[in-house]
Amino acid sequence: MIVVLLLLVLLFGALVLVRGRRLLNLLTVADAAVVLGASLYMMAYSGLPVYLTGDGSLFVDMLSAYEVAISCLVFLFAAVFARGYVESLISDGELSPGNMRMFYVSFNVLMWSVVLAFISNNLALLWIFAELTTVASAMLIVVLNAKDNITAAIKYVFITSTAMLFSFIGLIMLFALSRHDLSAATLNWDVLAAGAASLSPGLFALSFVLIFIGFAAKSGIVPFHAWLPPAHAKAPSDVSVLLSSSVVNVGIYAIIRMYAIGIHTDARGFLSALLIFFGVLTIAVASFSMVVRSNLKKLVAFSSVENMGFMVMGIGLGGPIALFWVLFHTLAHALSKALLFFSAGVIQHQYHSVKIESIYDPLRYQPLATVGLIVGGLAVLGFPSLPLFISKFFILSQLARFSVWLLALVLFALLVAAGGFGFFFIRLMARDKPVKMMRFSPGLSIRVPIVVLMIILLFMGLFIPDSLSRVLGDIVAALRWS
Amino acid sequence: MNSLAFEGVVKVILVLVLVSAVVIISRRDILSLFRSYAAQSLLLALVAFLSFIQDGQLVLLYTSVLILVVKGVFIPFILKRAQRGMSIDRDIDFHYLQPSGSILVSVLVIVGVYAAVADKLKVVSGGSLFLLGAVLGISLTLMGMMVIFSRRQVISKIVGYLVMENGVVLFSLFVSELPFLIEVLVLMDLVILVVISAILAFGMSSSLEEFHKSLNPFHDWFRGGNA
Repeated sequence: MIVVLLLLVLLFGALVLVRGRRLLNLLTVADAAVVLGASLYMMAYSGLPVYLTGDGSLFVDMLSAYEVAISCLVFLFAAVFARGYVESLISDGELSPGNMRMFYVSFNVLMWSVVLAFISNNLALLWIFAELTTVASAMLIVVLNAKDNITAAIKYVFITSTAMLFSFIGLIMLFALSRHDLSAATLNWDVLAAGAASLSPGLFALSFVLIFIGFAAKSGIVPFHAWLPPAHAKAPSDVSVLLSSSVVNVGIYAIIRMYAIGIHTDARGFLSALLIFFGVLTIAVASFSMVVRSNLKKLVAFSSVENMGFMVMGIGLGGPIALFWVLFHTLAHALSKALLFFSAGVIQHQYHSVKIESIYDPLRYQPLATVGLIVGGLAVLGFPSLPLFISKFFILSQLARFSVWLLALVLFALLVAAGGFGFFFIRLMARDKPVKMMRFSPGLSIRVPIVVLMIILLFMGLFIPDSLSRVLGDIVAALRWS
Repeated sequence: MNSLAFEGVVKVILVLVLVSAVVIISRRDILSLFRSYAAQSLLLALVAFLSFIQDGQLVLLYTSVLILVVKGVFIPFILKRAQRGMSIDRDIDFHYLQPSGSILVSVLVIVGVYAAVADKLKVVSGGSLFLLGAVLGISLTLMGMMVIFSRRQVISKIVGYLVMENGVVLFSLFVSELPFLIEVLVLMDLVILVVISAILAFGMSSSLEEFHKSLNPFHDWFRGGNA
């Protein structure tokens, strides 16, 4: 742990001191790559869980390593993308060169807040780092020279922080409960999970509901989702990727951890119904909100809300199969959203807008980004041969066992979402502009993440590597998910 | 201080905290909102300090000093600065609830919270102060949320958030062994300081008309799906 702290001091010291945009970018790429490598190494070779502090506040188990790997992969792509993208923002006058250092420092603070949230065994520490992700994300949203961004960022901070206060009340109750029902007064997740059967179901259910409010808001679950679409739409596309593919996962991760305690208590039935209710509500509201969109990034943001609802519903369904596919969904969704927002960033730079009335003939002006949007769009809708199809199929099959009526409702909502996406894309492709415009030529650092993400998604849709199945199986077993 | 006297004094302070919350809910004058918030924070600092004298746990002393300096002095000071920049003195329009109605709802909130959590918390509580702290802390949090819902001005909404925060702090003071309490308090203050700084920076670089225009979107923050 001391080595990690020392490296962090060196990293942030260098980020504050170094001169030159390329060097800042290189440091950021290296930071993401090193943490990604460390998490993959731990998953492959270390006997997990590994405790990083003497009091057990920080630990790495298979779930945290998996979530860290997903987030760092996304941060790595975003850091590479930023090299060309940030230059284009500066040349457009949307980002002042003076804010460059703030962008990269906040980028790294956000990455480390997310990583530390995932490796927090102590739930109070998880709360702290989750709050810190809000602060760092807000800094990244306001980095652009636009007053709308300040409004979006303040709204984001306000809604999520207000909800997170309820979470903290829930944590205080959980602590009081552990003091009374377990031998140790603690908020360490491993101790709580091991003694879950002894926890009083009534107070645990109350603390779960309060904790759920905060982390549901972090994930954009309805009715706490109002911050998500404007924040994703106003943020620079690179930052939208981080919000949609990494920060929202912190909320889902906390819900998984809490439910892993809850399934061993007598409150399980209530908690399951609660999660399924909010999951289905979120899918329905988000899907209908997608029908009338004319802003590309808001459309994609609502798709994130829908997919978060899908994951919460999957967690609530319980059972190892549902959790296995929720975890797979987390990875596939993160990569699909990264592809969509990277592509949207290129489109935004070409047309200086992401509103449909400003976009003409995108296949001609930005063919790669347009193909990226189509592949990403099909992926998030769960098109066969793309990875989210498999996870949606298996989660829905578990839902069918729970209730056929709910299945019918969710299928209808997904159909509406597909209609919304399809209608948007048909309108997008059908628009032709008689006047020629200058074509923005995206650099290699912009094209590479888009191409690589498309390849990974197409590959994952056809073939799930054994190592990935093994990791997911290990997580399900370690959480004692039944 | 013997434990009975300690309990008695703390109970009186808790009632005063509640009074300060009612003042915040009912006043339209923005400066008096800040003053009431500062007074409420000082009362919380006093509860933390008395608990330190009673229990001797250093974390309570640190908490007391932190609340005193940041919530009692610093945040009210920068709120005043932000308010000067905005030239808003009074809350005129309210959403859903007028101040008089809010007071009535607050009473219902306290009764409702007691009915909802008392039975469950009695099982685990160490004493009556814990239960009182829990009920008043959660009620204060909900009253703060009511301020956020019912006020139109962003600066009043911030005071609502700060009252919510005080509710959480109040509850946590009675569970002093809680891990990372100080860190949590620091982070809560950091969040609100970031928000106020953003407003300060924004307010000072815009004209008054622009700023008022920019405040309009805030009225529907919590309606959901408005984007």
